[in-house]
Amino acid sequence: MSKTKWTGLILGLIGFIFPMVVSFPGLSLAGHLAMSIFLMAAIFWMFETVPIYSTSILVIFFQVILLSAEGFIDYSSVLYEPLPYTQFIATLADPIIILFLGGFVLADAAVKYDFDKSMTRLLLQPFGSQPKFIILGLMLVTAVLSAFMSNTATTAMMITVIIPIIARMEPGDPARIAVALCIPFAANIGGIATPIGTPPNAVVIAALNQQGVTVAFSSWMLYATPIAIIMLIIAWYILLKLHPPAVDILTLNLDGKLKKSRNAIILYATFGLTVLLWVTEGLHGIRSSIVALMPVAVLTLSSALDKHDIRKLPWEVLWLIAGGIALGISMKETGLAEWMVSSISWDQFGYLMLLALFGMVALVMSNFLSNTVTASLLIPLAISLVTSGIIQGTAGMMTMGLVVALSASFAMVLPISTPPNAIAVSTGMIQTKHMIISGSIIGLIGLLLVLIFSVIYWPFII
Amino acid sequence: MEKKIYILVVEDEPDVLDSIVRDISSFETYFPIEMADTAEEARELIQEILDNDHEIGLILCDHVLPGDNGVELLVEMEKNEATAPARKVLITGQAGLQETVRAVNEASLKHYIAKPWKKEELVEIVRELLTDYVLENVKNPLGFMPILDGERIAESIRKSGAISDL
Repeated sequence: MSKTKWTGLILGLIGFIFPMVVSFPGLSLAGHLAMSIFLMAAIFWMFETVPIYSTSILVIFFQVILLSAEGFIDYSSVLYEPLPYTQFIATLADPIIILFLGGFVLADAAVKYDFDKSMTRLLLQPFGSQPKFIILGLMLVTAVLSAFMSNTATTAMMITVIIPIIARMEPGDPARIAVALCIPFAANIGGIATPIGTPPNAVVIAALNQQGVTVAFSSWMLYATPIAIIMLIIAWYILLKLHPPAVDILTLNLDGKLKKSRNAIILYATFGLTVLLWVTEGLHGIRSSIVALMPVAVLTLSSALDKHDIRKLPWEVLWLIAGGIALGISMKETGLAEWMVSSISWDQFGYLMLLALFGMVALVMSNFLSNTVTASLLIPLAISLVTSGIIQGTAGMMTMGLVVALSASFAMVLPISTPPNAIAVSTGMIQTKHMIISGSIIGLIGLLLVLIFSVIYWPFII
Repeated sequence: MEKKIYILVVEDEPDVLDSIVRDISSFETYFPIEMADTAEEARELIQEILDNDHEIGLILCDHVLPGDNGVELLVEMEKNEATAPARKVLITGQAGLQETVRAVNEASLKHYIAKPWKKEELVEIVRELLTDYVLENVKNPLGFMPILDGERIAESIRKSGAISDL
């Protein structure tokens, strides 16, 4: 084990024990234990002492044995109504997890039948042969795909598309860097556009659900897609300014065939119908998590996906999200979140300052930590500000949720910031310094745009 | 210490050995190159590499060597579990049909390069074979993208889902 991991292990254990030996006034026994779990999880997640998805399962495990009605702690003499343990383990089948499962199954099948590649070829057609428009096309395609598939899988696919493009460019052409950087950036940005675009969205939506705020698939898109589009164009502009193309013409090889087997066609139809039902949730009212069961059912019963494909789904991502949701539940139910928030006198901050603060913290944290972990740690605190009255009602909670989720996704400064960044740097086509420069500019503009939206756009449509 | 993947070059003529190693020197920062001029010396090197918990990704081997010949060495490597995954290439002017067939059948020979070779051809073969090796034997092949076939590595990440959004 590395030094960092050891440090994390020791600090994590200290964090776990600390609330058990120190008594905080105003915090219940259950709140102390919830704090133990929170501190341990936060430290393990930060130091990656164990894989981050294991920390999530550890959270659920400790909640069951320390905080549930069936656990080891007798709460009969104190003022805390322990939740049944099924509440904690049910996070593994939370509606948002089922929504993601539907997304995973679609994405898995799309990769299996090369639907993602076929879509890419089709969507890139109209962008001609000028390098700047090709870069725009690459970014739009990447963003659209990563809004429905994992950002990482989209990046890996698009890297296979851009390697031949870059190989045909002159070695000294600065636009090679723009081409290589535009993929991870567009994938990160595209993830914010839909609820299933990236896991932090899931954690935030689940936390909002617990507060009684339901977020329709189409509503999230209405809130977040415009900002994704604007950010894409800004990122495109920045990349072209920093790395202007040296030539006027670039050839794209878009040869390839659309698969036409029976299973492939079933996939295309299922994909199309599912996405259609998702984006029109506002019209028909069928919940997106219910719609998500359709591709799972259809693709497996038509054997377009077999059990080997099911085993290949990124289950660890679902664990990670579930742990984040569970952490939020225990912090809310035990009063820990409210207690932590109430120890700071927030009234000295204005509403906008508060949003800026959480957005900034999310942006900075998420550059170093997993985006999902960042959202999991911040959202319980952010949302409990509602109970303290600084943030008002549904619109306030929704805005705060969007600020945290979107800021976490706008972190793309370093290779470690997101898996798409890591893949792009690994190709050897760009250096970390290129990523730091444009990533920092994009992150800061993203945060600013989120704050502008929370003043001039979201209040009027939520 | 991190596990290293070695390239082993076995050739008895010093000039030829030098020129092979020079041609593939671009791989050296990712794949350390070891040289031997006989099968016996190669065996010692292999043992040493394995003892240090490293592995052999590729062997470029001449056939006609003093002592045991190249094909014998390759067959032996194929039989050893630790060296079986290594990609095996014969670089030779003089291996007869019978021996070559034996190398294909019993040492799963991946490529036969006739002397004299072209540098680009050799580099391309080394690149593709090492990509094969890395994709089959390395858990996270991401770090090898700059030197190997990045397109194939990215494609394998896409298909296998080896990296997920976390």
